[in-house]
Amino acid sequence: MNNVFTKENIALSHIVQIQTQVRDPVAVAEACRRLGLGPPVQQTVELFAATATGLAVQLPDWRYPIVCKVDQGRIEFDNFGGVWGQQAQLDRFLQAYAAEKSKLEARKQGHTVTEQSLADGSIKLTVQLAGGAG
Amino acid sequence: MTQIIEIVISPDGQTKLETKGFGGQSCRDASRFLEQALGVRASEQLTAEFHEKSVVQQAQHQQP
Repeated sequence: MNNVFTKENIALSHIVQIQTQVRDPVAVAEACRRLGLGPPVQQTVELFAATATGLAVQLPDWRYPIVCKVDQGRIEFDNFGGVWGQQAQLDRFLQAYAAEKSKLEARKQGHTVTEQSLADGSIKLTVQLAGGAG
Repeated sequence: MTQIIEIVISPDGQTKLETKGFGGQSCRDASRFLEQALGVRASEQLTAEFHEKSVVQQAQHQQP
């Protein structure tokens, strides 16, 4: 029997899980706009027992703003384990950031992006590659 | 074949990225710009999808 599975007739698919890092001020601003939040402000913020300098974003019902340290890709915040602000609001911000950053990058490459909201609250983006090279 | 990258961002901000319609290793190159822009890779999985024609051919070979 001939082996019909030659290298040429295999299409490889590729699934990657990514831990989001907040590094792009433009995408932070887009995420704020998307969620109806005030625009991010570069400043030093006094948290309960510390100060943090970076791009400050005020989340709904959070006592202190979150501070995006875009040079390090991390966010500083103090919500006292949820007492001073719900974790879900921060998660929602991260989701909006990842969606806006993906769209910005894909469009920069000339690709077409369509967005869908899924029933479980996820955002699905479909990026159709320009040129079809590959 | 249409080449697409599907991105699913869960409500907690975790991102899953999947390439479709690429031949060979090119899928990894195609999505790299997004991976690098979004953050750090937590895991990677390569899957092989065989063309429908090949599967049919194999099924026919296996018949007595």
